[in-house]
Amino acid sequence: MAQLSVARSEERHSVSERSTIHRVGDWLARYGVAWLFLFPTLVFFIGWAVYPIFRVAWFSLLDYRPIQASRPVTFIGLQNYVEAFADPLLLQGIIRAATFTALFLPGMIFMPMLLAVLIDRITNARVATFYRLVLLIPAMIPGPLIFLLWKWMYDGYIGPINYVLVDVLGFFTIQNQPQWLSNQLVIPGLAIMEWWWGLGYHTMFFLAGLATIPRDLFDAARVDGANEWKLFWTVTFWRLLPVTLVLVVLRFGTAMAVIDEYLIMGGFMRDRPTYTWTVYMWDTAFQGVQDRGYAAAIGWVGTIVMLLVVGLLFWLFRSRD
Amino acid sequence: MATHEASARLEGLSYPVPAISRRSKIKWGSVLRHVILAIFALIIIMPLVWVLLLSVKSLPDAYQNEIWPKTFDWSHYSYSLQKIPTLPQNYMNSIIVTLGTVVITTVCAVLAGYVMVFLQVPGVPIVFGLLVASMFFPTRVTAVIAIFETQKDLGLLNIPAGLIFPYVSLSLAISVFVMRGMFQTVPHEIYDAARIDGAGPVRMLVGILLPMVKNGLVVVIIINFVAAWGEYLLAKTLNTNQSAQTLPVVLSTATGGMGAWVWPRLAAVYIMAIAPGLIVFGFAQRWYIKGLQEGALKG
Repeated sequence: MAQLSVARSEERHSVSERSTIHRVGDWLARYGVAWLFLFPTLVFFIGWAVYPIFRVAWFSLLDYRPIQASRPVTFIGLQNYVEAFADPLLLQGIIRAATFTALFLPGMIFMPMLLAVLIDRITNARVATFYRLVLLIPAMIPGPLIFLLWKWMYDGYIGPINYVLVDVLGFFTIQNQPQWLSNQLVIPGLAIMEWWWGLGYHTMFFLAGLATIPRDLFDAARVDGANEWKLFWTVTFWRLLPVTLVLVVLRFGTAMAVIDEYLIMGGFMRDRPTYTWTVYMWDTAFQGVQDRGYAAAIGWVGTIVMLLVVGLLFWLFRSRD
Repeated sequence: MATHEASARLEGLSYPVPAISRRSKIKWGSVLRHVILAIFALIIIMPLVWVLLLSVKSLPDAYQNEIWPKTFDWSHYSYSLQKIPTLPQNYMNSIIVTLGTVVITTVCAVLAGYVMVFLQVPGVPIVFGLLVASMFFPTRVTAVIAIFETQKDLGLLNIPAGLIFPYVSLSLAISVFVMRGMFQTVPHEIYDAARIDGAGPVRMLVGILLPMVKNGLVVVIIINFVAAWGEYLLAKTLNTNQSAQTLPVVLSTATGGMGAWVWPRLAAVYIMAIAPGLIVFGFAQRWYIKGLQEGALKG
């Protein structure tokens, strides 16, 4: 390989001596090929991501209810936003999304971190791979199918969770067994489900982070008499901080804009803790009078609140370095 | 142990490492470690074992709640495929949509990743920046209304394959990101050498570079498979006819476990829905984990 590359670099000199025409041709071929290769990506990215984002922003400035044929589509400026800012249900929807996020996020960061540290210490490569594989199984199941499984798991009649709690362990009776999908428990229930789903996937991130820590750092600290607990907080935690911060930002964003979970487990009752801004937006756009203009405004307000916090997190984490 | 002592010596420490007490401590720690990991592994496995067993329970057993069935009944699989009218169609829809999405996105990501690493052309970094920025934007949720209108304008509502268009854009940014990361691990000498040998972009890509980034390809394929196979919001919004729906949407409307959808049959359809992903994972896990380690998780 080394010999080969030496030979090639000698030839490279002759390339620069080629005629101008050749170089212009090269240049054109390069640009042409570059944009030709980028074309499919651009079509899908612009057509089904960028354009819809701007189009929905346009909708938010309209009085737009397509099922009411007699009602003309009219431009009403920021009227939808004025209404949205005064809408208690939207505010509540954002608070509900934030509540779920606050409950979900710590578990989604610290449990995988703990697991990664444990797996990283396993010296037997086969055993370590086995744990990785088992933990990654849920990551191979698409989210909505996970949510369905857990909806059944939480079921009061058929669900195995309450079967174990009531019939096997006897912690509860049929009368006072936890109603996992009730308004009181649905948010913790969703968080447990999300932890189960994301455990292995996030552990992989932390394992990748751990692999970058030089081993002698641990050995030196151990020699200095540090126990595992102290070692974690003095060395490992700080070395994993970059990975942790990336995951916090990523998961904050996804958790605030969750919708499938709520649609599958929550339904459209407005007093449910799962009726967040995302569900409110979908409900307004596709059910009842289908007020798509107002729904677009709801979506944008929720999105902007979310992006502001993501931006704030970026800024906070950047200033630490 | 030896390494500890060696490193202690390297660090210039004069006191010896207390080898014996340390050894016994590590043993207990390792027992505890395996116990914790085994508990987590069990927690991960149990729900799936439960739904698998539910799918082969006889009907009376299914309502007894005991985890292990008294009588096995394997007929739920064939029953649901034969007797639930749209189910084979829904299964087919999921396959078409997923195959289309995986193939198109992978091709897009390979081409774009190649351009971003090997053809430094003005404007390309801007495209990459926009793609990365879009990963932090909840496009699928915020733009669902406009995606619906766009699909309506194109006459793609209630056409299963129509879902492919928005689905490609779902994981396009992360796929390009992964492929770009993978191409960056290819030594530039190899690219230069092949170029001087007269390899055009196509031969370069297919013949030389792709075999070197196959772990990344596996990662991209799996990401897109999982995203398309289980997507719910867009499928529910865009395709409202039951015969045009994909598996997850049909399954989600069938809750309650009544009539044809009694619990074991629901569970059987569920197993059929998650099996392809798990089988693919079983075959591809080696490359997948390598791919994740090589490039996908960096960044």
